[in-house]
Amino acid sequence: MRASLRRVLIAIAILLAIAPVLTQDAFYQRIAALVVLAAISASAWNVIGGYAGQVSFGHSVYFGIGGYAALLAFTKLGLPPIAGAPLGILASFVLSAIVGLPSFRLRGHYFSMATIAIAALAGLLVTNWGYAGGAIGLMGPATPRSPADLLFRSPLPYYAIFLVVLAILLVLTWWMERSRMGFYLRAIGSGERAAASLGVPIRRYKLYALFISGAFTALAGSLYAVMIGFIDPDSGFGILVSVNMVVMAALGGAGTLFGPLVGAIILVPLEETTNALLGGGGTGAAYVAYGVIIMLIARFSPGGLAQFLPRIAARKSPRAA
Amino acid sequence: MLLEARGIVKTFGSFHAVDGADLTLAENELIGLIGPNGAGKSTFFNCLAGEARPTLGKIRFRGADVTALSSAAHAGLGLARTFQVPIVFEGMSVRENVMVGAFLRHPARRRAEEKADEVLEFTGLAAQADMLATALGTAGRKRLGIARALATEPILLLLDEALAGLTSAEMEGAIALVERIHARGITLVVVEHIMEVIHRLTRRVLVFNQGRVIAEGTPAEVTHIPAVIEAYLGRRAQGSPESRAP
Repeated sequence: MRASLRRVLIAIAILLAIAPVLTQDAFYQRIAALVVLAAISASAWNVIGGYAGQVSFGHSVYFGIGGYAALLAFTKLGLPPIAGAPLGILASFVLSAIVGLPSFRLRGHYFSMATIAIAALAGLLVTNWGYAGGAIGLMGPATPRSPADLLFRSPLPYYAIFLVVLAILLVLTWWMERSRMGFYLRAIGSGERAAASLGVPIRRYKLYALFISGAFTALAGSLYAVMIGFIDPDSGFGILVSVNMVVMAALGGAGTLFGPLVGAIILVPLEETTNALLGGGGTGAAYVAYGVIIMLIARFSPGGLAQFLPRIAARKSPRAA
Repeated sequence: MLLEARGIVKTFGSFHAVDGADLTLAENELIGLIGPNGAGKSTFFNCLAGEARPTLGKIRFRGADVTALSSAAHAGLGLARTFQVPIVFEGMSVRENVMVGAFLRHPARRRAEEKADEVLEFTGLAAQADMLATALGTAGRKRLGIARALATEPILLLLDEALAGLTSAEMEGAIALVERIHARGITLVVVEHIMEVIHRLTRRVLVFNQGRVIAEGTPAEVTHIPAVIEAYLGRRAQGSPESRAP
């Protein structure tokens, strides 16, 4: 059962790898690149929010840091935007250490609320930070000065770069899932008291998870800024950036390896096509769908599709005695 | 002396849940902790396990002061516990649940898995190893709680009502398991409500009431001490019909 599920997922991964080559339409190629980008941040969120069960609604703070690091490196230092990515990752570590320790004292909803507050605060600070463009934001290079600027006409190179990063993250997560850390995170997620009684150093492991999660989310932010060439407080630190990660992971299956990727494959095309069909006035339409999805998941399948699909399969096959 | 708790006081606001309790444990002892509901057993127990920090008093484990150490640090030192209401790790199999405990001494996955299988065999859960832990019933969950704690390779195991809520057949199995654990050289403290279990398992019991140890002795002795009877059944009211009866 599990092996066949894995085969299906490998098939999806291969499909994903060749999908944009099959279509010559740049619109769909762009969507494919955005799917993989969203899968990176949702998979990164999944490490702390899914495996460790610490539902952060403030991960936009990492995404924003990464995005701003990239475009600050360009506008202030004249470096290629991607050169800002390591700085963004470094800043994410500092933030995790500062924010993680006090907020991990909070549990459940209180933790989630604290993360919302932190992201909102970060958004406000950046909006009022003139050096970083204030409310207007920052622009990337308009024309490529060197190949290092990673400025391409076609979405395909971005797609390829994102896919490499996603693959690294998923392999890391897969390895973590099977190691002591994965067991400890899942134990923390389902019962901190019991986990502590078995010798799990709760806060240390939560912090490890946050380091990994924040670093990859920051990297996703940098990659976003590199591709889009623009970041402002809303697209970097907005609450919807965080909500996207949570909903994608939850839809596909939080705490599963491929859940966030599956969520991204379903939701990004939905969002992009509604945006394209409804135009500027319809930007919110996808979020109406998100609201419905959140309610459906909460009501019928808290484990997301990863839990829902095997259950359907089990219902069809005769029950074992 | 394996464990020594002196003058343990734990207050919540003005309420003294534990009010000056002492306990000394020798290696490989098996003692019972009894008392009516709200007597402070659980709080005392939580203090011993490092989950609650005593307001006053000192706890020494193998000579080292462990009073202020965390629950995880206690597990590291070889002091494990189970919970009255078992908390199973959802989405994990029975084996994986036990592996969480085994990882404490065996960081490598393969070794942790071997340790878990050994413990599952010992606790009679081997047949359910691949089941989701949430599919277990009360008896299975309690057994899993014990298995998980055993996987940390404890010196001292604190069992919090590990036998409550079991059918009599399940109880026989659980008593046999506790005896097997004891035979392995592990020191045990069992909190129990069921006197029959205490009688069969332990040779020394401490009776708790209102945050204090009010009696200590063999199970047979303590059940005849008036203070103990009073703690459980209450005192006859002055002037009630019974007390005036001839």
